[in-house]
Amino acid sequence: MIPGLLQLLAFQGVGELLARFVVPIVPGPVLGLVALLAWLRLRGRVGVGLDAVAGAFSRHLGLLFVPAAVGVVTFLPLLRGHLAALLLALLASVLATIATSAWLLQTLSRDPADDPADDPADDPDRPPAGRDPGSPPTGPRA
Amino acid sequence: MSAPLSEIREIWVYLSGSPLFALTLTLAAWQLGTVACDRSGRHPLVNPVAIAVAGVAATIVAIDMPYATYFEGAQFVHFLLGTATVALAVPIHRGLDALRGRLLPLLAALLGGGAVSIAVAVGGARLLGLDPALADGLWAKSVTAPIAMGVAERMGASPTLTAVYAVVTGVLGAALGRFVLDAVGCRAWWQRGAAIGIAAHGIGTSRAFDVHPAAGAWASLAMGLHGVLGAVAIPWAFALAR
Repeated sequence: MIPGLLQLLAFQGVGELLARFVVPIVPGPVLGLVALLAWLRLRGRVGVGLDAVAGAFSRHLGLLFVPAAVGVVTFLPLLRGHLAALLLALLASVLATIATSAWLLQTLSRDPADDPADDPADDPDRPPAGRDPGSPPTGPRA
Repeated sequence: MSAPLSEIREIWVYLSGSPLFALTLTLAAWQLGTVACDRSGRHPLVNPVAIAVAGVAATIVAIDMPYATYFEGAQFVHFLLGTATVALAVPIHRGLDALRGRLLPLLAALLGGGAVSIAVAVGGARLLGLDPALADGLWAKSVTAPIAMGVAERMGASPTLTAVYAVVTGVLGAALGRFVLDAVGCRAWWQRGAAIGIAAHGIGTSRAFDVHPAAGAWASLAMGLHGVLGAVAIPWAFALAR
């Protein structure tokens, strides 16, 4: 676990340096991500320690932005009276984004493996047979 | 009676001034959120982030603690956002291995979906007469929150509002995504996952993993790539639109 964390911190440091001196418009951690990705592509495999730390971060990503999001309390007076408009804009935006992305993915891919017959999605909310329904969820939470 | 009370007050003053209180509160609220989410059968509307944020916000308002005091303690959690962002390289690396011939549709969906996300949110906000101080946070809200906040900071928008919009977007997308996907006739798991990952980042990705592992893996890749692309393109588009 510690070697993985060290690796992440080292690449975060590289990213901060790149953001400071080379591409100031992109946040340092994103440049760190790109640097680590390049390293992983070159090396071809993910170390056990890094895999463990990345998995833990992925599962609890949502926890990490709680402190910043709680700052919404300082915006409450400004938000009051705009809530309905904001929700409407957010709702319309996310629905339009899903529809556009799905449409582009469908229209531009001519992969025979995407034939619905091979890939039943009749009930997208029911886990497919073969997957243990009691197995713990592994996805990120945020 | 007054001696123990003043003693309690002293202990409280000591504890509330140390990071211990803010850290405990944050982790406890998160734990409450994840337990509630699991108990509900991982219902997309019972979101751990939303529950944790509401719980912490209600607590600090109730005890009259200034946000700055809370954040001073909770900043240790906040710091790890950057490290978690770097860690997103791992799911992207894995996803790239499975990409095969799907790079072109995925890139097109990232660019098209990302542009529509901003156009509808920012355009809608302008139409509805929203305060620019509130509307600028909408630009990065479809990008995963750790990256969105960094992008917002560099644009001069509020990272806090961006994070809150991102959470609301994620919850809405995770809850309603399947209806949109069914409506446009999108059936392949990888496409369903990728579309949700682009629009509803981490919360949508978590939902996709609950539904199907392939959908989750593709959502994860799409979310990561949208983050990288957004970090480069959004500040640039924002500057152009000014």
